[in-house]
Amino acid sequence: MNWKTVLRLISIDIKSSRLIRGTRLGSILENKVLTTVLYVGACICGAIVGWLIGNFYSGVPDPALKEAIFKGATSLFVTFPTLALIYGLVFTQMSQIQRIGVKVSIQPLYWYPITWGEHTLASIIANLIGAPLIITVFICSSILVASAFLGLIALAVCTVLALMGSLFTASITTEIVKVLQVRVSGAVTKVAGRTAVWVRLLGTIIFLIVFYLVYFTLVYGASFTALIESMAGGQRILWFIPYLWFGITLSAIVNGLNFEAVIFALTSIGFIYALFVAAVRLNAKFGLYEAPSITISRGTYTPKTGLLGKLGFSSLEAAIMRKDFKAFTRRRELMYIFIMPIVFILMPIVSSIRGTADTMPSIFSKFLFVYIALLPGTLMAVSIGSILTGSEGESIWYVHASPVSAKSYVKAKYFFTVFFSLAVTVICILFAAVWTAPSLRTVLIGFFEAFLLVLALSMVSLSFGIKGADFRELPRPRMIRPLWSLINMAICLALALAIISPMIPYAVKILFESIFLPIDLSTIISESYLYSALFLSAIIATIIFFTFYRITVKNAETLLSSAGG
Amino acid sequence: MELEASVHLHAVKLMGVSKRYGNVTAVEYIDLEVGKGEIVGLLGPNGSGKSTTIKMILGLVKPDTGSVNVLGINVKEDPIGVKRKIGYVPESPRIYEFLTGLEFLDFTGDVYGMAPDEKKKRIEEFVKALDLEGREGDMISSYSEGMKQKVVIISALMHKPQLLLLDEPLSGLDPKSARIVKDLLRELASQGVTTIMSTHVLEIAQAMCDRIAIMYNGRLLALGTMQELREKAMMPESRLEDIFLKLTGTGDVKPIVEALMK
Repeated sequence: MNWKTVLRLISIDIKSSRLIRGTRLGSILENKVLTTVLYVGACICGAIVGWLIGNFYSGVPDPALKEAIFKGATSLFVTFPTLALIYGLVFTQMSQIQRIGVKVSIQPLYWYPITWGEHTLASIIANLIGAPLIITVFICSSILVASAFLGLIALAVCTVLALMGSLFTASITTEIVKVLQVRVSGAVTKVAGRTAVWVRLLGTIIFLIVFYLVYFTLVYGASFTALIESMAGGQRILWFIPYLWFGITLSAIVNGLNFEAVIFALTSIGFIYALFVAAVRLNAKFGLYEAPSITISRGTYTPKTGLLGKLGFSSLEAAIMRKDFKAFTRRRELMYIFIMPIVFILMPIVSSIRGTADTMPSIFSKFLFVYIALLPGTLMAVSIGSILTGSEGESIWYVHASPVSAKSYVKAKYFFTVFFSLAVTVICILFAAVWTAPSLRTVLIGFFEAFLLVLALSMVSLSFGIKGADFRELPRPRMIRPLWSLINMAICLALALAIISPMIPYAVKILFESIFLPIDLSTIISESYLYSALFLSAIIATIIFFTFYRITVKNAETLLSSAGG
Repeated sequence: MELEASVHLHAVKLMGVSKRYGNVTAVEYIDLEVGKGEIVGLLGPNGSGKSTTIKMILGLVKPDTGSVNVLGINVKEDPIGVKRKIGYVPESPRIYEFLTGLEFLDFTGDVYGMAPDEKKKRIEEFVKALDLEGREGDMISSYSEGMKQKVVIISALMHKPQLLLLDEPLSGLDPKSARIVKDLLRELASQGVTTIMSTHVLEIAQAMCDRIAIMYNGRLLALGTMQELREKAMMPESRLEDIFLKLTGTGDVKPIVEALMK
């Protein structure tokens, strides 16, 4: 192991982060003085927090309370390694996902005379630099300073070592998961053959559902103190899980079981070594593994006429729409668009999981219906419209070189966005209708408003998506420049409010009726007002649509006529 | 009237065309006329303005001065009409990697409004000719660079364009496919299809092109047949490589090599 090479690889990895974060922030993170200030700052902040805790402990006059605080502190120390493992896994996984493109762009390193051990170690350490290490420095300095007041210095030192070990274990695990992920997805692709595309799409969706179910359950279902308590008591029962051995070592020290502490400390170190060896071997075997190709079709080729032609789209427009559909079902970075309806449906379900629609208050049930009916589809339209042009990536040359007129381009992209978003809207409304059991009239009103929002905002976001398109693909496809994305979100929000504004008095009336306020609004806001409001909503949406249609076509003309250098 | 007639005689006519990017002059007042059925090679060192010239002919880059006429159409006035008649292969093209080769070609056929039967016939012929059979149903992400180049070349040729703009078209192709493409271009030229290609491989330019244009620092240094270029460089019997190095002033490479060997 050449440590100089490892250090150089780590510095390259840090420098490559400028590809992800942009030059300005990248240069800050590469500045050695500022980086030192960051870590020293975390250390000082941690020390201050530790000092405050220690002082508080010293100032407590009640011996019983002092004892309780002391016990709480030791419990906390015992749980720190496992907590470090969890946040270490989260941060390193996130960093790994962000760096996939960067890894591709710095592949020449694999041609150089560098061993897989050096590669793996550098990757593991580089993954820890940044948020995980800063948090750990903060926690460690707090523990050490507070422990001086609590008289737990020996335990604190052990905790710091265990914390570092856990963090390192998390990063090695992430490295192993990364390699296995490539290998497993390759194997699945090979076995699945032509269905690989759908397996990948469904796999991604199922992964997202499971991830968010776990996430929301944790966020809404468990408190932090409950988590600490259960971890402090529970990890000794789960002694057979090597990831908990650091925590068990500390637990053994606290309980005076010295022999057990030594055994678990040694096995923990052995476990880290075994994991590292496994990561190196897996990297050596699959580090440069290329996933097998996906074969979509075999046999005789037959051109398809398709439904889009019958709906009045030219062959060019239909071809663009079909191509975009394939992009959304086959490109991993676009599959994440499916996250939106899933999150919006899952969030209220998990938060209201204790009750069904029958037990929900009527107004909450109505709010839930409107929320699920309007938000996912509308957000889908805003998102797809804004990224659809940028998603062409570096293949945009093909659009530039093709005989595509601005109007055809806008038509194809717009209707793709609308079809996709309306499909999501319909699914969400059906789901919301089953879950919240609203009246048929509420369902129809919800659908009508969602329809208007999708129709108008698809055009608005398409306009900004063309204007702010970002075609860079490395280190990851950006699709829209951040500033234009923000402008798009802000204007879409304002216009969405404008479209639904005529319905607000009617919603207020329903709210007042539901909470039995002694104000009767039915004389001011009659039933006929509802139909006028819907009509007014439609007028506003139409005006927005046509105004932005002109802007979008103009933006498309500029896009198609200026391919740059 | 006279100008219009002259424009119709030529497949491509560039008059006083120039293009600047900030302080850098990419193309400086170029006049170029390419006849129908002619194969013209654009040669020049990196950054000499070849790709920019091709992009201006296609309408992808707007010239700062001058006009570009393609097959009797002013590119500025009817860019879509011009694009319909052109087949284009860019340098190092990126294509939709999530599509299969077949899907990409089918997409191209639809973009150019080809009839389904014609599209099917042309795709099958080209796929067979360029040895893509058996892999055409695979996603392009798994193709080698050469296979991707073949797909792009097919997409440029399949809709029977009247003008071909090819930027390093043979890069990455295996010898058999390169030979097929070269022969095909000659055959198409005999049918009146015009080709403007840029290349760094001087042997290819010498073997394939009717006329050669040498560009340097955005200017057109020389244009003519091999014989005309030899006369201009006053190098009778010389190879294109020597003429090119002399005209572009990059001829004496011996001191550079010697310095590198130290």
